[in-house]
This record gives sequence, C-alpha cells and structure tokens, in this order.
Amino acid sequence: MSTIFGTSTAAFYERSLMNLNALRSQAEETQAEMSSGQRLQRSSDDPVAASRLRQLARADVFDAIDTTATNRATTDLTLTDNAMSQMTSFVTRLQELATQAASATLSDSQRAGIGEEVAQIRENLVSLANTRDGAGNALFGGESAGDAYTLDAAGNASYIGTGQAGTISLGGGQAVSRGLTGPEFLQFQSGGASVDLLTITKTLADALTSGTGGAAAANGALAALGDGLNAITTAQTVVGSRLNWIDLNTDRRTALSEQRTTEKTEVGGADLTESIARLQNTMLVLEASQASFSKLANLSLFSVLR
Amino acid sequence: MASDLLSIARSGVQAAKIGLDLTAQNIANASSTGYVRRSANFREVAQTGGANRIGDLSLSGVRLDGIVRNADAFRQAEVRRTGSDVARASAEVTALQNIESAIEQSGVFEAIIDFESSLQQLTQDPVDTSLRASVIEKARTMVGTFQIAGQEMDAAGEGMRFLAGDGVTQVNRIAQELARTNTRLARASDASSDQTALLDQRDTLLEQLSTYGNIATTFGTDGQVAVKIGGASGSDLVVGNSAASVSMATAADGTISFDVGGTPLTLAGGSMAGQQLALTKNAQLKADLDTLVDNMVTDVNAAQTGGDDLDGNSGTAIFSGNSMATLTLVATDGRKIATAPAGSAPRSRDASNLTAIRTALAGVDPAGTMDAILFDVSGTLAGRNVTLGALETIADTAKVALSAQSGVDLDQEAVNLVRFQQAFQASGKVMQVASDIFDTLLAIR
Repeated sequence: MSTIFGTSTAAFYERSLMNLNALRSQAEETQAEMSSGQRLQRSSDDPVAASRLRQLARADVFDAIDTTATNRATTDLTLTDNAMSQMTSFVTRLQELATQAASATLSDSQRAGIGEEVAQIRENLVSLANTRDGAGNALFGGESAGDAYTLDAAGNASYIGTGQAGTISLGGGQAVSRGLTGPEFLQFQSGGASVDLLTITKTLADALTSGTGGAAAANGALAALGDGLNAITTAQTVVGSRLNWIDLNTDRRTALSEQRTTEKTEVGGADLTESIARLQNTMLVLEASQASFSKLANLSLFSVLR
Repeated sequence: MASDLLSIARSGVQAAKIGLDLTAQNIANASSTGYVRRSANFREVAQTGGANRIGDLSLSGVRLDGIVRNADAFRQAEVRRTGSDVARASAEVTALQNIESAIEQSGVFEAIIDFESSLQQLTQDPVDTSLRASVIEKARTMVGTFQIAGQEMDAAGEGMRFLAGDGVTQVNRIAQELARTNTRLARASDASSDQTALLDQRDTLLEQLSTYGNIATTFGTDGQVAVKIGGASGSDLVVGNSAASVSMATAADGTISFDVGGTPLTLAGGSMAGQQLALTKNAQLKADLDTLVDNMVTDVNAAQTGGDDLDGNSGTAIFSGNSMATLTLVATDGRKIATAPAGSAPRSRDASNLTAIRTALAGVDPAGTMDAILFDVSGTLAGRNVTLGALETIADTAKVALSAQSGVDLDQEAVNLVRFQQAFQASGKVMQVASDIFDTLLAIR
C-alpha cells in the first residue's frame, strides 16, 4: 500500500482500515482453502485449472461406467467358462459311454441302457447351451432376445441366436466380446465335414436306443466326440485369454485413475503445509499491524499539549 | 490613517479569533464526508505615505483576506476518474460472479456428463429397463438443471437492470442538485464561508456522479461547473442551472442502452457502464447455452427417430424446445429410447441405433461446449478481478493523496490551536502595553 507523509487523520484511519481488511480477507481465504481441502472455491479462481478439473471429473464418471462394464464382461465370460467346463465333463462321460457301447460284448439291451444315459446327457448339453447370463439373456445366443437353441418336435436342436456375440466397451477405446455363440464351439470339423455336437449326440442316442447297429454307431461317434472335446477346450482358451485382456485393461484403468487422482490433487487440492505456513505468516503480519495501529492511533498532540 | 496601537492589537485579536474558529471548525469536521480543510489568509493593513510624507509610519494591523479551501482540482479529478473505473469494474465483477454462479452452481455440466454416461451404460445391456429408466432420469435432471441455469441467468440480468435503472435515477437526481448548486454559487460572494460550503457540496456531488458514469467537468471562475457525461466527447448533463435527463432502454435480449435527451450515450466508466457490459456478456452466454440446447435437442431427436424402441415401435422425440427456458423432456418412459435400428423386433438387443444416438450426442459435444462456456465466463471474471485489483489500488492511492492534501490532520490543528492561542495572548499583551503607555502619559505631572 502507499505511504504518504503529512496525511490527514481521516486518511490515516482509512488506510489502516484498508490494510487490516486486506490482511483479514487473505487469512479468511487461506482458512477456506484449508477447511475445504480445495484450492479453488469457484471456477474463476483459476479458470484453466477448473476446466482441467472438470475434464478429470468427467473421466471419473466414465471410469465408473467402465468399471461396471468390466464387471459385467467378467461375469459373463466366467459364466461361459463354467458352462464350458461342465460341457467338457459331459463330453468326457459321453466318450466313456461310447467306448463301452462300441464293445461287441455288450448286449443290445445293455446298449439301449447306455443310450438312455446318452440321451439324458444330451438333454443336459442342450440346457447348458441355453444357459442364461447375468442379465438373463442367452449366454450362447449372441444377441438373441430369447433362447439360443430350440428343439423341434423330433428333438432336433437348431440354433436361433444371432451370428455374433455382442461386444462390451472397456473404456479407452478398448472393447471385448462378451461371450461365444453356440455354433462357435459346438460346431466343428470332424472327418472332413462340419458336424454339430448336439446333432451327433442325438444320432448316437437314437442309434443306441434303437437296438440295432449301436456298436458301429458308437465306434463312429468316438472320433467326432474327441474333436468336439477339442473344440470346447479350444474355445475355453479363447475365453481365458479374453479374461486376461479384461484384467490387463483393468490394470491400465487403475493406473490411469491413480494418475487422475494425483493430477486432481496437484491441480485443485490445497497443500496443507503451505496453507498453514501462509496462514501463520498472514496472522503474524495482521497481529503486528493491529498492534502498530493501536499505538499510532494513540499518538495525538492533544494528549501531549496541556 | 493614523496608526493606533490599541486598534492594531484589536485587529490582531480578531484575526487570532478567526484562526481559532477555523481550527475548531476543522477539528469538528475532521471526519465529515467531502469536507475540505479550511485555512485563513491574513493580510497586513498598511498604507504607504502620501506625497512628501514617505517616512510616515502608517500601520493599521491585520485583516482576513479570505478563507482558503485546500482542494487540488487535479487530485479531485483523479479521484473522480479512478473512482469511475473502479465502479465500472466492481459492478461488472459482481454481475459476472452472479452469472458464473448461475451457470456453475446449477450443475449443468455434471448433469450433462451423467446423461452421457447413462447412455454409455445402456450399451452394456440395451434391453435392461432399469438402465433405460436411469437414462430418462438423467435426462430429466439435465433438463431441470438447464432450466434452473436459464432462470438464474435471467434473475441475474434482472438484478443488473434494476441496479442500472437505479443508477439512471441517481444520475438525474445528482444532475438536478448540481444545477441548483450552480445557481447558488453564482450568487455567493467570493471566498466567503458560504461559497466554500457550496464548493464542498459541488465536489461531493461530482464524486458521487462519477461512480455512476464517467464525466468530464469544466469549472467557471465563480465555481460553477459544466458536466458532460460519457467523457469529454459526451453529452452535456449540467450546464449552468439546467440539467439534462438520462434514460435507459432495454432490448429484447436483455441488454441495455442509455441516452441523454434522445442522444445515444456511450459510457466508459461508472457502475452503469459495468452493468451494461455484464448484461452484454450475459446475453452472449445465454445465446451460447441456447444454441447448445437447440443443437442437442435437434441431433438427439433426429437419431432417436431413426430407430425402434424396446417395443419395436419407431422412436419418438426425447426432448422438445430450442432454448434453456423451453427445454422439456417429452419421453417419460425408459422403453421409448430407440436403441434398436428401424424395423427390429420387440426386445431387440441390437444396439446400433443407440450407437447412432451416442454419436449424434458426441457430435454436439455438450460436455466440451459446456466446459468452454464455463471457461469463457470464469476466464472473463478472473481477468476482470485482476483489473479490479489494479484499479482499486490506483483509486485508493488517488483518494489518500487527495485526503492527505485536503483532509484534516488533527496534529496540525493542535499546533494551529496553540499558535493562534499564543497570537491571541500576544495581541492582548499589546493592548495592555498600549494601556500602560496611556497611563504613563497621563501620569506625567
């Protein structure tokens, strides 16, 4: 502030008041910073930093959405993996049964019994293929609104889902396919032709229960079942690598989120140590100003002249 | 004129009494607004001798020459000029703060982000009715915050116009008073206490006037002032004993303009200029926000009508309106969001039209535009705050400089009190000496 000598009394009081007020408001500002933990009380305190903070806040909101998306994708893929594991154990059991049935020592009625079990397992496979995901949609039906497979009157299964499973955004422009469609792993190459696991299981069960030619049919089905098992485990590997991809993205997102938090503190957070030191400094100056003001205000010639 | 010790002493006593009176007056008015310190100018009363009588002593004491008003016209003009600037800047800053709060505190930016993110969340499962309901609720919040922002900005503008209107009233009142003061100044005799009081009043009025608008002044020899409002090239406001009248007009977008008796008035300083600037900024920001709303409504609705909703019906508009005030939410059911492409079956999980809606929204970039608008107002305000700080320092310095020169210093008055008291006592002593001399002469026998 300005210093002018030979000033008038009113000017002296006015100037002292001005200085004391300025110091007081400075102290109050620092106090507000400390109690709110925010350096910026309003955008105009630092427009550039405020704009940056808004962008960071926006990224945070979208990050929260990405987190739920990741969770959803993880759930769906884990469900897919579980269903497939069950399928592999069923196919393994089918292989055992087919091997038994292929043996010439078994009677036709014994084969018919095996055929019943095969038919039962096939029903399980169909219901597994129609598993629902976390949101109640067909897990292997792509984007189908209903089931993935439907059975006709004769019991033949046919795929009614869409051609591809939907993708889910993981943030940062990355996406992951949220599952597999039924045909992607239930339809495979065997013996130079494309076959369907549900179809060959049905054929096998029918052949075994019919009572004639069961052994040959079981023998023929063995190779196809082996290929089917392969197809499922291969698909499981794909699912596993997708889960890995999600983990990678989660790591990336966590790192980014940490970075954002750091930047937020740097841009908009109040440094407590600095604020306290500044407040101490201001208070010291304020006290000194008050003390000197009261001393100066007492200085009057009238009290000296008698 | 014959010299006479007693009458010289009498004039000395009278002068000292005038000095004491003035000192007392100064002390009494030490904290009166607009009071300028008075001091007395004394002159010797003496006569040169006539022809052939050069050696004659002809001393007749002292007389009051005039009351001096210790006002510096330059410093006063500086106080008025800098005061005008501060009034303009502080009116603008106050108004901009209101506008900033209106836009920022209404939470429009956060609501836009929430709406955008709810649409993104819907991509995870487009047939989930709770996610759809969430989109509608976020849209409702966004519509509400836009309406609040619009109302708050209107209210801020209303407040500014009210203050500017009051400024016009005050300017007209002060102009009338100045004209009356001019009339009385023309009749007051020179260097009288009557004139000094009128001059004090004139300067106080000018200082008040300068806080409403920037003025240029011309002083006559008798102390009358001619005032032009809007600077040296502005219009005459007060000439002699006549005052012109200022009036204000409001445009459709809420901005204001002034005129003096029909002549357009451009103000560069004073609170009225600050309010005028802030209202222009308010209108610009409001237009920006209205454009954003209009674009968003048009593009989102266009994308929405290009698809099918959850029940397989073709999409209908979500929003209506083309400004913050008229923006309303038309779709109130989450099922109405057309996520599926046209011609899809009910409950279709195909989200390609949702992608189209999100692309349309991204094309408008409401969050980015809103950020830019917020940056615009806060950046302007931050800049004006710096200017205001600088102007305040300058104005304070000018004020202190003026009051240092024209204000009352009690210490100095204490000294004057002692000095005039001593002068009074000394003149009294002279009277006693005169009386002693007279007695001595009478005692000669």
